[in-house]
Amino acid sequence: MAHRLRAVWPPLLFAAVFLGLWQLLVVSRDIKPYLLPAPSLIWQNFSGELGLMSSTALYTATTALLGLVLGTLVGLVLALLAQRFIVVNHLMTPLAAGLAAVPIVALTPILNNMFDITSRTPRVLVTMIIVFFPVYVNVMRGLVQVQPVQLELMRSMNAAPGTVVRLLRIPNAIPFFFTAMKVAAPLSVIAALVSEYFGGPQLGLGSRIASAAANTAYGRAWAYVVAAIITGLVFYLAVLAAERLAAPWTGRSRST
Amino acid sequence: MTATAPATARSAVHAEGVWKIFNEGQPGEVTALQDVTLDVAEGEFVSLIGPSGCGKSTLLRVIADLTHATRGDMQVAGLSAAQARQEQKYGMAFQQAALFDWRTVRRNVELPLELQGWDKARRSARAMELLEMVQLADFADHRPWELSGGMQQRVAIARSLAVDPPLLLMDEPFGALDEMTRERMQNELLRIRRETGKSIIFVTHSIPEAVYLSDRVVVMSPRPGRITEIVPISLGERTEDTREAEEFYAGVTAVREALRGHPHDGSSVRARVGEV
Ligand SMILES: Nc1ncnc2c1ncn2[C@@H]1O[C@H](COP(=O)(O)OP(=O)(O)OP(=O)(O)O)[C@@H](O)[C@H]1O
Ligand SMILES: [Mg+2]
Repeated sequence: MAHRLRAVWPPLLFAAVFLGLWQLLVVSRDIKPYLLPAPSLIWQNFSGELGLMSSTALYTATTALLGLVLGTLVGLVLALLAQRFIVVNHLMTPLAAGLAAVPIVALTPILNNMFDITSRTPRVLVTMIIVFFPVYVNVMRGLVQVQPVQLELMRSMNAAPGTVVRLLRIPNAIPFFFTAMKVAAPLSVIAALVSEYFGGPQLGLGSRIASAAANTAYGRAWAYVVAAIITGLVFYLAVLAAERLAAPWTGRSRST
Repeated sequence: MTATAPATARSAVHAEGVWKIFNEGQPGEVTALQDVTLDVAEGEFVSLIGPSGCGKSTLLRVIADLTHATRGDMQVAGLSAAQARQEQKYGMAFQQAALFDWRTVRRNVELPLELQGWDKARRSARAMELLEMVQLADFADHRPWELSGGMQQRVAIARSLAVDPPLLLMDEPFGALDEMTRERMQNELLRIRRETGKSIIFVTHSIPEAVYLSDRVVVMSPRPGRITEIVPISLGERTEDTREAEEFYAGVTAVREALRGHPHDGSSVRARVGEV
């Protein structure tokens, strides 16, 4: 317990000092809100509209979660197939690398035309594609990077290929999977949020940040940014918790 | 001295004219094993010793059917090497413990039983029995990373014994251990052997270790890898005093001379030194 407190204190202290200095700077220099609103103003907007904040965040979070789950599933299935069938691997490796170079959110307006613009579908698709990449690459690595001696051990025990995948390759890939999720989960929130800038229903954080800023309601715009940060953090912490539960051995193995 | 006993039904391992050539006919061709003929009797303890790269691991891997001989005949427990592996006639312990971090110590020992389709209760009971044997019952529910190197190696040995195979193949299992732990492990291995009557083929770089453990020490030499001499050891029952006994030193000297007394003398000594 004591060491956990010790881990929590420094960032909290840092945040307090940072916010204090920010407030001091804005007040003493009389900085205008459109340049930089004071933390007190942001807080006022945030706490005054808690219901709106949370329902808005929930909308974007739902898009993000759908994209995250679907993108992760696709990444997992393709990684398993690529590990099993060398053809899929040859097909996927350049594709995945190519996909990483495409600014996917830029596709949103096109997808908005392809699908019903009043639905979430285009945004979920964008999020999915963005999530897919880190999941596929990391899980693939985890499935392949098995210690040769462990493979020989399985062969010496006459394990069938499918058994090797189930008992060795998949468990070996779990820490890699969580590494991917720690990147993908916050990324899915960003993707869902940014894709709202390109039209469609105006119910999410991205839409509301844009419209608040356009209406010179800077304190409000920043309050939504805070809500976005909290959403991303919740996603990240959820992954950390899941990792603790599902893969307690991660990061603790000795390198022998 | 006769190098090999005639092949009988009682051979744990019967190798005849076994060759292993890596990359045959290609630029990087290596003759890892040249015409290896060796018989290991049931219940016998045979050590393989020789400079680095002389093919000890390769020979063990051919016996285990982890790689195929290029030429020659390899029989394990009267079966082809492939059949012997499929029927789990041997257990193997590698230089690394190769434990699965995502399994507890007990479930690591259960792994070969799980592959054999044993049910949960039987599996668990058998694993506990084996952990008892290597004196790690208290650590059954620990994770591998919580154990010292020597303890991990004992878990690996317990795992190799799980299906009760008649033959144990061990590739430098004590290589990474300190001298004290190593001697204790040697005694434990001899005790396990006494209790189970298994045949054991044991790869090592240590001359005293080979002499202390073995009925016969097979001396190999590299480029091409082959058996140069087989030194019989007769120390009888090992006790506290064995390591100080005159016969023990005589055995050590005999193996050392066998390692030296070979045309490629200089190079093999250098290989050994370079590797340490
Ligand atoms: N997969 C492989 N492909 C090509 N050459 C190999 C392969 N495996 C082993 N060799 C070669 O075969 C020879 C014997 O190797 P091996 O691993 O059996 O030696 P060793 O006696 O076990 O050595 P050490 O004491 O260092 O473990 C070496 O020259 C090695 O380079
Ligand atoms: Mg070796």
